[in-house]
Amino acid sequence: MRTPPAESDGDVPALELRALRAAFVNGPGLTDVSLRVGSGERVAIVGPSGVGKTTLLRAVAGLAPLDDGHVLVSGHDVTALPPERRGVVYLHQTPVLFPHLSVGENVAFPLRVRGQRGDAVRQRVGEALAAVRLDGLEARAAHALSGGQRHRVALARAIAARPAVLLLDEPLSALDPALRADVGAAITAAQAAYGPAMLLVSHDLDDVGALADRVAVLLDGGVAQCVTPDVLFARPATLAVARFLGIYQELVGHVREDGAIVCALGVIDVARERRGAAPTASRVTLGFRAGSLRLSAAEARPDGARARVAGIRDRPRGSTFVLRLEDGAAESLVEAAIAGQSVTCAVGDEVVVTLDPHDVMVYPS
Amino acid sequence: MTGSRAATAFPPPGPGRVVRGVLLVVLVATSLGPLVLLAIWSISGRWLYPSLLPTEYSAASWRALGTESLGPALVTSGALAVVAGLVGCMLALPLGRALARLRGWRRHVGAVAAFLPVAAPPLALGTGLQVVLLSVGLGGTATGVLLAHLVPAVGYLSLFFLGTFTLFDARVEAEARTLGATPWQMWRHVLLPMLRGPIAEAVALGFLISWGQFALTLVVGGGAVRALPLEVFSLVRAGQDRAAAVGALLLVVPPVVGLAALRWAARRTTVAPA
Repeated sequence: MRTPPAESDGDVPALELRALRAAFVNGPGLTDVSLRVGSGERVAIVGPSGVGKTTLLRAVAGLAPLDDGHVLVSGHDVTALPPERRGVVYLHQTPVLFPHLSVGENVAFPLRVRGQRGDAVRQRVGEALAAVRLDGLEARAAHALSGGQRHRVALARAIAARPAVLLLDEPLSALDPALRADVGAAITAAQAAYGPAMLLVSHDLDDVGALADRVAVLLDGGVAQCVTPDVLFARPATLAVARFLGIYQELVGHVREDGAIVCALGVIDVARERRGAAPTASRVTLGFRAGSLRLSAAEARPDGARARVAGIRDRPRGSTFVLRLEDGAAESLVEAAIAGQSVTCAVGDEVVVTLDPHDVMVYPS
Repeated sequence: MTGSRAATAFPPPGPGRVVRGVLLVVLVATSLGPLVLLAIWSISGRWLYPSLLPTEYSAASWRALGTESLGPALVTSGALAVVAGLVGCMLALPLGRALARLRGWRRHVGAVAAFLPVAAPPLALGTGLQVVLLSVGLGGTATGVLLAHLVPAVGYLSLFFLGTFTLFDARVEAEARTLGATPWQMWRHVLLPMLRGPIAEAVALGFLISWGQFALTLVVGGGAVRALPLEVFSLVRAGQDRAAAVGALLLVVPPVVGLAALRWAARRTTVAPA
């Protein structure tokens, strides 16, 4: 899924990236990044460290060079334009306020460099500060602000510029939990103020779930999947995406002639759309979450796959059982979260494990 | 500055304290002594051995400033130094920024190139420059001398700004550009106001580099450009000690004022950016 459709069909997307390529010193760089962000939409880019998330954002802003590809803002190709003429504002991870300017002057900066003066500027500055709940702080010196206020002033300054696209580099990652909620709310409010497209980078999947309409997973230099957070977590498109999300366990199996999959958990009848195009008898990897496993007492289900309880971890949200599966000579460990299941067993007990086929993803090995 | 408690606790009493006290007195005497002597000398009318102080005082040497060669030399030196400070700073600012952005061996080569005219003896520098300036018809002219003064000034100030920009947060430039500033607006509204302090210091340093030049002015100016250090030197050679003392005192004024201003500014500077 290299080029996901824009959210708003028919409309010109606020931001469109076409086959961007950028080499960098360490690592393979970006090889082929394509993405569309609709007006008013929030898309988050996630991916492992060093994959080039920040480089991508800086390249879109015109602050880092591109080797190939095109950046389109509201349908116009801005690839060759300097940063100030792209209709895009890039926000650094930690806010960079101009220390010689007051809060009001900082927020007015994008308007003044565009030649605007007088009451119109004052009004726009007031609105932008109100949108991030900093009304009346115009005269405050930039260095006299708290950390959260600095983030919000930087946001207000960005929305005062009214760009078609806002780029946010790890907007919440440097903040303590109380400030995260504060700045997160400010980002949502800032967008509500006039509805720009937002492309944000994050390494925190929780932030992404809260902030983004869609999530683009950047892997191996390209967008591996770009879907809503719910769909991403329910159906990772590839094994690499599933591994990046870190919530999937893996078991190796093979495809039987009737399409069912045989593995250490027995025969799993996976729906065709989840099975992909894996040919018969081919080796596949099953991805599933700890919550997809059902446990029952061994004597109740004489036909099920048997496992031995190797450990029990008590967690705030319920216990997790570590199970040892035997599949011929091979042994594998899986975890089963049993929230909502009434199971009583101890370490060393034998249990029967079943896997809900609706929650299984099958990837070619 | 720490509190007074720390000041009384250190240094601890002992013989080391006496040595330190003596050293301090020697330092003050050697640095201020000549200046005090110059000042007395410049206002003395009659001062003969073995009198500790002049027996007569006179303002004649100072009055002569308006009529004799020292006055015009003062104007020449001042004009040269002001232009060298301003132009040197204007050239060194972008140069230093460019140097700070280089990485690896390029940065070393750039820094060495900037340091060479600072480290080279002015006489050697002047000898080389004179050949070039004579060939373009600028030998013995004020313009030629100014260009010669700019060589060490730009070198030194480029290193100065290399340091400034190495510590300067480069994200500020990206931030200004992405918010809509053209490169010129970024300089005008962000970099120049933020670097007001370093720029003022650089202009003052450039002024002092030109102000104190002797060898470069002599070799390139060929004696035709009469700057203050040359004039003082001629007065010393001619045995006009009182007039020489006046000139030497004038030479010392800008560095002393500059030092005082720097100390004052340093006390008021907050290093942390917003």
